[in-house]
Amino acid sequence: MIPLSWYLTVAAILFSLGLYGALARRNAIAILMGIELMLNAVNINLVAFWRYITPQEFIGQVFAIFVITVAAAEAAIGLALILAIYRHRQTINVEEIDLMKW
Amino acid sequence: MPGFENLPLLSPEITLTIFALLVLGLDLAFKRLKDALAYVAIGGLILAIMLTAHLFGTQGSLFSGMLVVDSFALYFKIIACLTTGLVILSSIAFMKEKTPYRGEFYGLLLLATLAITLLVGASDLVMIYLSFEFVSLTCYVLVGYLRGDPKSSEAGIKYFLYGAVTSAVMLYGMSLIYGITGSTQLTVIADNFLSPSSPVASTRWLILPAVLFILAGFGFKIALVPFHQWAPDAYEGAPTPIAAFLSVGPKAAGFAVLIRVLLTALPAYQIDWIALLSGISLVSMTFGNLVAIQQTNIKRMLAYSSIAQVGYILLGVVAAGPGTVGIMGVLLFILAYLFTNLGAFVAVVAFSYATGSDEIADYAGLLRRAPLLAAALVVFFMSLAGMPPTAGFLGKLFVFGAVIQMGQKVFYFLAVAGVLNSVISLYYYFNVVRLMFFLPAKDETSLQIPRSLVVAVAITMAMTLVMGFYPQPFIDLATRSVVTVAMLSPQ
Amino acid sequence: MTLLQIAFLIISAVTILAALGVVVGRNILRNALALILAFLGVAALYLLLEATFLAAVQVLIYVGAIAVLILFAIMLTERLMKQERATNEQWWVVLVASALLAAILIFLVGAVEWQVTPTEIGGDPIANLGRALLTTYVLPFEVASLLLLMALVGAIIIAREREEA
Repeated sequence: MIPLSWYLTVAAILFSLGLYGALARRNAIAILMGIELMLNAVNINLVAFWRYITPQEFIGQVFAIFVITVAAAEAAIGLALILAIYRHRQTINVEEIDLMKW
Repeated sequence: MPGFENLPLLSPEITLTIFALLVLGLDLAFKRLKDALAYVAIGGLILAIMLTAHLFGTQGSLFSGMLVVDSFALYFKIIACLTTGLVILSSIAFMKEKTPYRGEFYGLLLLATLAITLLVGASDLVMIYLSFEFVSLTCYVLVGYLRGDPKSSEAGIKYFLYGAVTSAVMLYGMSLIYGITGSTQLTVIADNFLSPSSPVASTRWLILPAVLFILAGFGFKIALVPFHQWAPDAYEGAPTPIAAFLSVGPKAAGFAVLIRVLLTALPAYQIDWIALLSGISLVSMTFGNLVAIQQTNIKRMLAYSSIAQVGYILLGVVAAGPGTVGIMGVLLFILAYLFTNLGAFVAVVAFSYATGSDEIADYAGLLRRAPLLAAALVVFFMSLAGMPPTAGFLGKLFVFGAVIQMGQKVFYFLAVAGVLNSVISLYYYFNVVRLMFFLPAKDETSLQIPRSLVVAVAITMAMTLVMGFYPQPFIDLATRSVVTVAMLSPQ
Repeated sequence: MTLLQIAFLIISAVTILAALGVVVGRNILRNALALILAFLGVAALYLLLEATFLAAVQVLIYVGAIAVLILFAIMLTERLMKQERATNEQWWVVLVASALLAAILIFLVGAVEWQVTPTEIGGDPIANLGRALLTTYVLPFEVASLLLLMALVGAIIIAREREEA
């Protein structure tokens, strides 16, 4: 069988890559994509813990389903906000969105 | 089916859901209702408050441990409903000029309140995550609500990006906790950490980052240093009533869930989190106050001032570990803070409605233009600074007192730092007072303030003073709410 | 090394490379396409973990809804596609911090003795999952529906074209 820590390692790498994307990119949509990677990393953790630690109880899987639901809602609202700011400023570069000090 | 016999315990939440859907539905069906819907929403909130008050003292765990109902949660539910009620009252005139989507606005505010009432009772990581995101997502929408206003959109996107990153980090921490303990129930997690025979020992080093990740999420919600950067921009750009809402509603919820997680799930690591939170509290209050001094926009000033206030409240959480006085201080402080900070924001709404400005310089000569508003602001600033005989004094008294009771030198130092910070804050609060009272106005015309705003200012001012003059009933209420959360911690 | 382990390594390598493609590079459209590949890789990991329903949900929602939404948003804001610099000035600080975080996390999850229960999944997993969602987790389930309603209303209000004054 595949060791649990293998899955957790992949998740840790995905999470860190996503965090890098979220904190280093300038384009708001690219930041959002980084966040989606982080959420996917969490879901790998949750599903792997379900399979290896509580296979009889569906905690991890249910949790992952709620994460996906929230992620969908979050993406919809985030992209709506991005479109709204684009309409005003013709840019979605977070460094140029600066009417107020960051 | 499990849990359904306890359904009456959820009556406030059910009421809020029904009224939120009612407001959204009525808005869809009757195009002209819009502003009347504000009163429908307020009616729903009053009903929810009455039902919550009726439940006071009962206790129960619902839906296989997803949610607990105890006086601690009920106390915060009342706070949430009061906040939203006052925010709606101050929105009626303000939003009329700004957006045609007012029915949805009130509906969303009710949903945000519902989310807060769920969050403060959540006792399972799944439920905590879901209601936490429910609060956050609704707030992102409300902050970016005014599409015609570039500042509102900008505030919305900044708040969103910041919040989405921190909540992903928090979630990663939650997934690790689930893996370590095999459960998402706070009580089971606590048992796992506490029992000496538990195999958790080898996971000790993983628990630390997991807990830190979770605290980062909560820290964002209550705008603690170093997760505060979003707050000034969000407050400045958001529609002012929503800035008022953000500064109280979600923050109170953040404190409730923070306290519940620390006391229920993590008593095993008390020493660690007391040390951590002491440091953060000190940094938050000092940083907030020092930066507030430099602000020229009153909403930004209040944003930094509320970062400092959060630092004071956190002192109470620090003291919540060993005794119940700390939580009581937190409860009293948050109630006082509700009336005071909301009042200050409502006064700012009134001023900005009448003049269109949020600049501190424009408050010059306010005493002659709107004497009542100026007087109310003085009361709110006194209370924010913690001076007697106002509500803020009561809150600070209990919080600082609880810290001193912990009896070690470090904690004396913390309390002294809190008092010194209050003195610093006097400087910028009374700078505004000085402008209002002693400087001439550029424009001497008296301000026209709509009745709903006058009512909102009057209520908050009255309550700020009542809490200062007759604290006993509020102290009793807080005492009763503490007892149950203490029972909930390690069983 | 078993066949399953080899499959895992290949899938993980593809997923991680795809994730790298999401965060590196100036062309945001390519980032988005790499994101789709990463989502599919994660779905394949779910299959290895015997979470078949979740794999389907992953493909339907992440690839089918979220990725498409992102592609739409990119198209609507496309002037940005050839921007001069993709990252901010502090990117190397973030890079070092993220790499450090990854190293720490990988070390820690490897060092812990996880309490693995090597049992088969009891019964029909999809039926059990459905039962869990509608019994133990019925409250979050209902709350999620309200959350989606809120997101729907909110996204429409914010993204709709400006109304005529």
